[in-house]
Amino acid sequence: MSLVAEAFMNQLAAAEPWPENAALYQQLKEDQILLSDNAASLAVQAFLQMCNLPVRVVCRANAEYMSPSGKVPFIHVGNQVVSELGPIVQFVKAKGHSLSDGLDEVQKAEMKAYMELVNNMLLTAELYLQWCDDVTVEEITHPRYGSPYPWPLNRILSYQKQWEIRRKMKAIGWAGKSLEQVLEDVDQCCQALSQRLGTQPYFFNKQPTELDALVFGHLFTILTTQLITDELSEKVKNYGNLTAFCRRIEQQYFEGHDKDGSAAASARSAKRSESDPDLNKIWSQIFTPECFCLAACQMPSSCKCVTHLGVQLVELMR
Amino acid sequence: MASGSRAALALGRGNGACGYKPPSQGPATAPEAAPPPAAFPSRLCCRGRSGAAMRGQHRCVPRACAAGGQDGGSHGAELLGRRLGAAVPSSGVSDRHDVPVLISEDTVISQPAKILNFLRKQRYNADYELSAKQGADTLAYIALLEEKLLPALLHTFWVEAENYCSVTKPWFASRIPFPLSLYLPGKMSREALNRILLTRGGPPLYSLTEVEAQIYRDAKECLNLLSKRLGTSQFFFGNTPTTLDAFVFGFLAPVYKVCFPRVQLQEHLKQLTNLCRFCDDILTCYFKLTITGHSPSGQDTADANLQKLTQLVNKESNLIEKMDDNLRKSPQHPPRKITTLKLAAGGEESSPLNRLSP
Repeated sequence: MSLVAEAFMNQLAAAEPWPENAALYQQLKEDQILLSDNAASLAVQAFLQMCNLPVRVVCRANAEYMSPSGKVPFIHVGNQVVSELGPIVQFVKAKGHSLSDGLDEVQKAEMKAYMELVNNMLLTAELYLQWCDDVTVEEITHPRYGSPYPWPLNRILSYQKQWEIRRKMKAIGWAGKSLEQVLEDVDQCCQALSQRLGTQPYFFNKQPTELDALVFGHLFTILTTQLITDELSEKVKNYGNLTAFCRRIEQQYFEGHDKDGSAAASARSAKRSESDPDLNKIWSQIFTPECFCLAACQMPSSCKCVTHLGVQLVELMR
Repeated sequence: MASGSRAALALGRGNGACGYKPPSQGPATAPEAAPPPAAFPSRLCCRGRSGAAMRGQHRCVPRACAAGGQDGGSHGAELLGRRLGAAVPSSGVSDRHDVPVLISEDTVISQPAKILNFLRKQRYNADYELSAKQGADTLAYIALLEEKLLPALLHTFWVEAENYCSVTKPWFASRIPFPLSLYLPGKMSREALNRILLTRGGPPLYSLTEVEAQIYRDAKECLNLLSKRLGTSQFFFGNTPTTLDAFVFGFLAPVYKVCFPRVQLQEHLKQLTNLCRFCDDILTCYFKLTITGHSPSGQDTADANLQKLTQLVNKESNLIEKMDDNLRKSPQHPPRKITTLKLAAGGEESSPLNRLSP
């Protein structure tokens, strides 16, 4: 937007304090959200947690269309709607909260450079993996992206999005890359981040900044999302200080929250995760999508799911 | 650091066109000695960090000097190659219309990152003395340049109508052989616009003017950040140039030096005096350019050659005069009309030659 509009928005932002009912909108956590969007959303959540600003996460199937820039997540604060981490950081700064005030000019330049590195390499690699790798597209992306919509809309929307992303990849020169090259780029990026982090707790030693939030968002999502293969998460796991960094931020800023706000819940894998088998088994027994339709269950009379228990109960009472 | 060997990278550039003149020779100690390419035979002595002076035969298509072709930093990669290795320009265009292209013996390598990898494998590396953190910083700043500065650069060179029509298109078309020169510049312009719109043109920016305003704002912010990072030191990591310096130079030099009708980015850059000083330093150290843009070594060789030729012609004519005098004085032959040869100093060599020929 133009300079004038931006200045106007900053003034509006500065006028009011942060409200209690701020909301962050993203796509549906369990079924719809993709790797890159999840990473972005988690980064914003981490940033707001670091600033001690309360926000509740609202999942909507049409979040992408509600967003002013077409990208998730976006926050709805008072009268204003701001999307993407960059503008959100500026908006929050206009309200008087900032994580990077303590940095000098050179450090701020470095921070911006590293944020661009993450956007340039990690985000683009995630997009590539989601939309340009045929196996992943067929098995994960298309089903998830179109899941809230009926056929044929789900196929049309996901093909449209895929075409758009592939055009962008071609324009920036990533279309010709193979998966191995992309993974190598991810490795290079992680190596750079790991070398920069070193043994410090945060990237700029004592206090977390928006760079920490961004890196956490991407790395945590990569580590906890199950894709077709584990190559992407293996690349990150090679660097011990990065995994320790993710764990540290999760413990510090996301522990003690309920499912809605927690990082663990929002990073639930694309397929069922292996991390907590008992909980998963119970959960899947209580509520299965097949049984919900009451038509796809293999063994309705002995099924323990909530739907069939209800039906069985009714039958018993007759 | 190899103080003994000389990193002589002379680059002659006349009138902004990408023509290169043969630079001066250097000591030959290289194991590889391929025969020089036919079009522009040049050999450059280069200095690798390890201290060995090696001569390589590489031909490098020079078109990357304008806005880094399609990839940002290609100019920088080319310059780094030129700084560390022998890069000789040829006048041909590669089949893939991709710039920059490094053609070394039989291999053709076409992207900046790949060119740098290739050079590293050939043991030319500017980053030996960097710490791990500085290496990481290099990668981060290169990403910053590509994200923030490159769209504005592409716009200035390829999308801004006045600049494109008056400078970029004639410049490129003059170096591309005939049928392609009508098509390739237009294609590159369309690709640049496409790239800008796809990466930066989404909502809430709906018109091209808004996108342009945003990308120029980002580019100016990026230049400010670079200036703050550079501070007062000579190069980004101390006193010796590294890959990052090459990339930054590659992005900044075209903005700084090319004379465009519409120059808002150049004006902003000129206010950042340390970046201008940085560009000038690299140009004088590694490209032997004076500020006016003429290559002194190139001119000198041409002048020297001309002088030698004139002297030779003068000597011959003097000899002939003496012979004629002798013949005249001898009683056996009748006097002959002697045509005196008048030679202007440093004048055209063609007329005396014509007169001398029987």
